[in-house]
Amino acid sequence: MASGQESAGMTLMDLITSDPSAAATSSSSTAAPSTLGKPVITEKKSKRATLMQIQNDTISAAKAFNPIKSYPQKQKKKPVSYAQLVRSIHELAATSDQKSSQRQLVHHVFPKLAVYNSVDPSVAPSLLMLHQQCEDRTVLRYIYYYLARILSDSGAQGLSPGGGIPTPNWDALADIDAVGGVTRADVIPRIVEQLTAEALNADIEVHARRLAALKALTAASASNSEILGKLYEIVFGILEKVADTKGKRRKGVFSKGGDKESIIWNNLQYAALSALRRLPLDPGNPVFLHRAVQGVSFADPVAVRHALAVISDLAARDPYSVAMALGKQALPGGALQDVLHLHDVLARVSLARLCHTLSRAPALNERPDITSQYSSLLYQLLLDPSDRVCFEAILCVLGKFDNTERTEERAAGWIRLTREILKLPEAPSVSSKGSQPKDALPPKPSSEKPASKVRRPQPLIKLVMRRLESSFRSFSRPVLHAAARVVQEMGKSRAAAYALGVRDIDEGSQLHAYAENIEFLDSDPHDGSQSEAIRKASLLSNRAGRLDTIAGLLASLMEVVRMTVACECVYVRGMVIKALIWMQNPHESFEELKSIIACELSDPAWPSALLNDILLTLHARFKATPDMAVTLLEIARIFATKVPGKIDADVLQLLWKTCLVGAGPDGKHTALEAVTIVLDLPPPQPESTSGLTSVDSVSAVDPKSALALQRLVQAAVWFLGENANYAASEYAWESATPPGTALMMLDVDKMVAAASSRNPTLSGALTRLQRCAFSGSWEVRIIAVQALITMAVRSGEPYRLQIYEFLHALALGGVQSQFSEMQLSNGEDQGASGTGLGSLISPMLKVLDEMYRAQDDLIRDMRNHDNNKQEWTDEELKKLYETHEKLLDLVLLFCYVPRAKYLPLGPTSAKLIEIYGSRHNISASAGLNDPAVATGISDLVYESKETPKGAETIDPDLAMAWVTGLEDSAWGSNVPAMEKVNEFLTGAGTDAPDVEEENITSRPSVTYEDMWAKTILETYEAEEDDARSSGTSSPESTGSVESSISSHFGGMSYPSLFSSRPSGYGVSQQLEQRSATTSSRLGNTSFGGPSSTSEGLGSPIREEPPSYSTSVLQRFESFENPLAGRDAQTFGSQDDADGSENPQFGKALYDFTAGGDDELSLIAGDEVEIDYEVDGWYHVRKKRPGRDGKMAGLVPVLYVSSS
Amino acid sequence: MLLAVLFSNTDGNILIERFHGVPAEERLHWRSFLVKLGAENLRGAKSEELFVASHKSVYIIYTMLGDVCIYVVGKDEYDELALTEVINVIISSVKDACQKTPTERLFLDKYGKVCLCLDEIVWKGMLENTDKSRIRRLIRLKPPTDF
Repeated sequence: MASGQESAGMTLMDLITSDPSAAATSSSSTAAPSTLGKPVITEKKSKRATLMQIQNDTISAAKAFNPIKSYPQKQKKKPVSYAQLVRSIHELAATSDQKSSQRQLVHHVFPKLAVYNSVDPSVAPSLLMLHQQCEDRTVLRYIYYYLARILSDSGAQGLSPGGGIPTPNWDALADIDAVGGVTRADVIPRIVEQLTAEALNADIEVHARRLAALKALTAASASNSEILGKLYEIVFGILEKVADTKGKRRKGVFSKGGDKESIIWNNLQYAALSALRRLPLDPGNPVFLHRAVQGVSFADPVAVRHALAVISDLAARDPYSVAMALGKQALPGGALQDVLHLHDVLARVSLARLCHTLSRAPALNERPDITSQYSSLLYQLLLDPSDRVCFEAILCVLGKFDNTERTEERAAGWIRLTREILKLPEAPSVSSKGSQPKDALPPKPSSEKPASKVRRPQPLIKLVMRRLESSFRSFSRPVLHAAARVVQEMGKSRAAAYALGVRDIDEGSQLHAYAENIEFLDSDPHDGSQSEAIRKASLLSNRAGRLDTIAGLLASLMEVVRMTVACECVYVRGMVIKALIWMQNPHESFEELKSIIACELSDPAWPSALLNDILLTLHARFKATPDMAVTLLEIARIFATKVPGKIDADVLQLLWKTCLVGAGPDGKHTALEAVTIVLDLPPPQPESTSGLTSVDSVSAVDPKSALALQRLVQAAVWFLGENANYAASEYAWESATPPGTALMMLDVDKMVAAASSRNPTLSGALTRLQRCAFSGSWEVRIIAVQALITMAVRSGEPYRLQIYEFLHALALGGVQSQFSEMQLSNGEDQGASGTGLGSLISPMLKVLDEMYRAQDDLIRDMRNHDNNKQEWTDEELKKLYETHEKLLDLVLLFCYVPRAKYLPLGPTSAKLIEIYGSRHNISASAGLNDPAVATGISDLVYESKETPKGAETIDPDLAMAWVTGLEDSAWGSNVPAMEKVNEFLTGAGTDAPDVEEENITSRPSVTYEDMWAKTILETYEAEEDDARSSGTSSPESTGSVESSISSHFGGMSYPSLFSSRPSGYGVSQQLEQRSATTSSRLGNTSFGGPSSTSEGLGSPIREEPPSYSTSVLQRFESFENPLAGRDAQTFGSQDDADGSENPQFGKALYDFTAGGDDELSLIAGDEVEIDYEVDGWYHVRKKRPGRDGKMAGLVPVLYVSSS
Repeated sequence: MLLAVLFSNTDGNILIERFHGVPAEERLHWRSFLVKLGAENLRGAKSEELFVASHKSVYIIYTMLGDVCIYVVGKDEYDELALTEVINVIISSVKDACQKTPTERLFLDKYGKVCLCLDEIVWKGMLENTDKSRIRRLIRLKPPTDF
């Protein structure tokens, strides 16, 4: 009929009413509003207007409800509106005694009304009337349904928690319509009252209605304490009557037989427990617990399920009293044992959770008899025919209970799984009451039940493995997904066990050995205490039996898991890959995993959310085993190359960072290498030529993923620059090489050789960056140069010199090609030429030039002083110190360095700087910009030697302590390393971990920036800073985990890499101004005039191809020689800022009479100040109020001449 | 927690939805996510063949029953397999209510009945009744176990 294409874009109501036959009858019922007056109708008539209004609302709501866009459609039949349905109810309620009305209600009105999530309160009176008068069961069933909906409706815009097409906001309308409006507040008490009365009715004949009423009552929101109180009363009332029967139990009851009374009782028990389950837990209440425990022995399976669920929830809070209340139920023959055979999966699941909680509860440590009962029950559930129950039991054994991950718990789970020997009486499907008398012996301290002779005792792990393997052979996707998830959890527990150093699980040792030993032990029942020792001993016994070792079992399981990758459902495959990642052992080869993943990722079906989820799994895996950093980075690289368009660069960066920090001293180099391999990727090949499974081939054939790959490379380059020094443990301020030696190494070959011999990590990174600066794309080159300068600033010699050389060459290359272009120019613009990085490099080079020059000067001065045997005068020292400070400021424009430690003048200057600093009480972190120093107060305060520690500043020594603390020793062993990473990860958003993570690099710089932002920056403008943020350590690195996950890379705008945080460039610029004002001498050093070189280099815009986005342009523009141009005022930002501040004045040319409130009357000649222009109007301000008393308002632009 | 039960037709129009514990502003995301999932995977699927998906810690089981797509979403104890139980109950009682595998028209004709069944199966975000005949009795306002 109306299915298929035709129904596309229809609302649900359209669909339902589109049936000709149904529509015909329903329209006859609704289109002919009968005149069967009666109170209900008159009430309705008064609301007619409102109803019509609501009808429109509802139809539009119904349309909005459809998530698929609705096309304009030709309607064949008018859909029944909500208002019409409501009207029908009112009418039919009045004639509810007639069969035809009932039929009408059941077949047309109620079903169609069900489209809406609820009905409005005005229907309630009619519903209640029907509830009292109507006898028809089906009508009544609907009545309960709708009453429950009204009760559950929270009243917020008709949007009930349940969903569905929202009903109109009746309360609001009823309030407006003062005559006869019915609100929720009016009807709810009536409904509750009527339902309560019914739920308390003990008449047997109506007990079905009693159940329905109770159910409807529970729909009321839990916040209403009055209704809650009533519900508790009813539920406990019922239970008091019916719960205490000595249940003549089971089996027979459901098969037809059973006397009427007990069946009614069963029904009541069911209803009461279902209601109890929906009520909030009442942990301290003994009655609550008592009733729930009684529920376990009820006959109704659903009631038992609810009872167990309630108990297991309670057990999580108070295991001791629950265990006491359950008493002997867990013993063989008790009710809990019966649950094992109950045909209700969720009941058994709840039982598994309950058993787990009780068997692991610390509160029950004193009672090994009790805990062993429950763990025995739990192990029996492992044999459950339902996968759901069995998996729940496995998860419980593994220590995965709720979402809280406790490593110890998990590790214990793995030990349990690998060590425990099971001796189950019989499979629960077979076992019956017959075996119970035999089993009802007092439980022994050893956790196993006495073995029946039928079954050999089995190692737990063998059982579990076999079960999982068979599940993996299933054809059902949910089962595969769940089994893979269980394997993943197993991997987590195993990783936890390894992380805690539980090394004595010899996975190669044999399992039968235990079993036999235990059996031997059991034949001597008094000897349970020795079992542990013998188990240990049995570890040593080493008979070869490949399949019976844990390793063998695991291998065969993993074989099956790997095969599951062939499943066509990506979610199953995703879960399998996660499981493989978790089961990957750090010491095993991961080639297979790599090729599986590489192969998988070639499939375009993967949704990006799932891929990022897997990346996060890698992250979690690393947290658990920091040893695996390199492996995991390799895997992450596969993601980067195969599906660059689908993964979030931030997730990847997060992984890189964590791995780098967590990799330990030896791993750092490898970790960095693994990151930078991304840079060495060959350009993407056409799909046909590249082998699909090859790990190294990049598949980024479509433009979108090519761009994404580009972004990843940018991220990697940036990461490299920012972290190379950390990875290499090479810092200028710790370098022992005196500046002079660098000059001796000016021969390039020697320099490079010296560099790589001293620190291969750093020089490796340097080489990579150099290559990127040459051959990457435009964006990559920019970042590469910035990364290089960062390294130059932070590294000591010979790296700095090496980078200087390189940058110099780059800059010259640009200039030369420009010259040649000029010479050869035949009037055509030849487009981009050279490296295009000239304007970027020149300020960096200038800083380095400055530093080297100052170092030379210092050496010369020192030699002079030495030769003349002269002391340094205060004046000289001051000059030196000022140079030092100035250089520091300049350096800080590009990246963060610790102010107190960094010595731009080289290590030899340390002493002199220190002398001056202590003499004049200058705190190292604040330098000359310290207000006290600037105003000269500090000179007066000779006594206080302590460095003031402002709340906002991070003591640089402290920062360094973090650094050194982290440096090598802390990562020596795994466990603390993991804790560190965990701290870092769990403390996402807190400050401390960032310091850890980023080392010295950026966090403190933020602190400084914040400090300056607070103290100095008043005219700060975010946009400009954003555009200028390039040189500093990027905020990317300072972001917490959360902030870095939130996409800095979002969109294509490149600068978002250095996202929105007010960063150092602008800050330092302000700082620079300030230093210029505070000490005038700084202003006229060699930095003054714009040199011709920088002019030549500083014209970048022509160099670059026009296709780059404006943001890049703008950013580049902002780079236009920021250092050279102080006199020339190239800081466009300031001009702009001034411009916007400058008031603009004008004069009224003609008389103008205001036409509205926001307009302003003018008389020709009035002097006005123009605030802003909008759509051909000026908003102006007069010097003094006019006749109408107004000062400001809008006037047409043409009426004012702006000066 | 059973977060959602959703029925849609093959065109992605939502026929019935029941949410529990899903904030109103997230429902739209769930609707479009589920409908998209169905559009991508359910085309040509066998009737009652179960599909699985997961999103973070939330599981989704969905299937096609005649012309109607059914989705159930759950988390915590309602994992893939528990949801499988739920969806099987739903399938069997929808078939029961419609007396055969439903076409869309048939489903809409039995709309009210299906809603009542759902009301008996999912109650406040938890699975309630699982037995087909019991559900049939309950939607006629008969006691769950008759005598």
